[in-house]
Amino acid sequence: MASRQQIKRRIGSVRNTRQITKAMQLVAASKLRHAQEAVVRPRAYAELAREILTRLRQIAADDSEYRLFTARPVKRRLLIIITSDLGLAGAYDANVIRAMIAQAQADRDKNIKTSVITIGRKAAQAASHINGIEVEAVYNKMPDKPSADDLRPILTSVVGLFADGAIDQVDIIYTKFISSISQQVQVQRLLPAGFDEVELDDELAHADVEPDAASLIKAATLRLLESQIYQGFLEAIASEQSMRMLAMKNATDNASDIIDDLTLEYNNARQAAITQELAEITGGAEALK
Amino acid sequence: MHLELVTLDGVKFKADAYSVILPTADGEITVLPGHEPLLSELVPGVITIRRTKSDADYHLEHYAAYGGVLEISSKGVRILVDEATHGDEINLAEAQKAHDEAVRLTKDAKNQVELDRAQTLLERRGVRLQVAELRRRHSRQR
Repeated sequence: MASRQQIKRRIGSVRNTRQITKAMQLVAASKLRHAQEAVVRPRAYAELAREILTRLRQIAADDSEYRLFTARPVKRRLLIIITSDLGLAGAYDANVIRAMIAQAQADRDKNIKTSVITIGRKAAQAASHINGIEVEAVYNKMPDKPSADDLRPILTSVVGLFADGAIDQVDIIYTKFISSISQQVQVQRLLPAGFDEVELDDELAHADVEPDAASLIKAATLRLLESQIYQGFLEAIASEQSMRMLAMKNATDNASDIIDDLTLEYNNARQAAITQELAEITGGAEALK
Repeated sequence: MHLELVTLDGVKFKADAYSVILPTADGEITVLPGHEPLLSELVPGVITIRRTKSDADYHLEHYAAYGGVLEISSKGVRILVDEATHGDEINLAEAQKAHDEAVRLTKDAKNQVELDRAQTLLERRGVRLQVAELRRRHSRQR
């Protein structure tokens, strides 16, 4: 059995750890609140962009072969992977990375080359260790409250690569925030862009289009893609914070359990020492009689 | 007419308005009630909203916006821009300083990439400065 002093020291160190995990839990909880509010904001934007785009597609039926929409045989696929920069968020990064590996495996079976754009240090680390994945670009240290500007370079390079024909398909892998206890890794198609068929009211079918349908379609498509990347990123942040909060809560609870066990052990050891001392004293007194 | 200003950061304006001035790819347009249906591309510039006909100039609401898409139908006007900063959120002195810094960056740019970045920055900060100046000018008339 460890000495009393050793047990005391261990209790102290576990208590320090608990203080840290508790603080991290509280920080994550407060960041989660902000992230949860942010996650619903771009929805109106995405909806309107999709609506306008659908209208345009119907008005400009002749230009329907716009290249951002055209599916073609896939030779190279680009994945945008969103993970965190820091660990200690439970299975958050591992889940996303597992999905990335599964996708890369599926591509290899179909003879498709896979390249990735990673957001967050963890994805970059993982991608560089996997054979057959080419790292296109790495974005680290993204802000907690991103603006559209932070993500625009990604959008521009993705659209450029797709338009040049360097890649034939783009998917984004992120963790969807369903609720604070449930998050799910999603693989979502970005390009070729899809759109819904909706009824077009007659009025807008005859609307003026300025400067011309093609450039307007391009502008609307970019906005739609932008909102999808942005939304994915916000969902990922919310998921990360809620998983970190849970992981840190578990760590804090475990630390409390360990402290309880160690305290019990310490008290046992102390009581044993007292009992032994008493036995020795009484033993000594008996011997003197 | 009903006016909606939708950005990535949520809906910034959703109410009835009398007129709105918008920077489109073909130049600035003023939209009044009963405008023809129109779909158009917006370029970086100032969006100015007048809520009612009798509003004085200092009641005008200015937003700095950096490009987007516009839809006008009989239901109203819907504006889709990445970001829109309300005039009240912009400080003139700060906007001026930021603009000067962007000018300096364009001059100091060493390569095309830096120049492109500096020019985008300059364009955006120019719009913000414009909004701040419009606000100051109008508030004097009060």
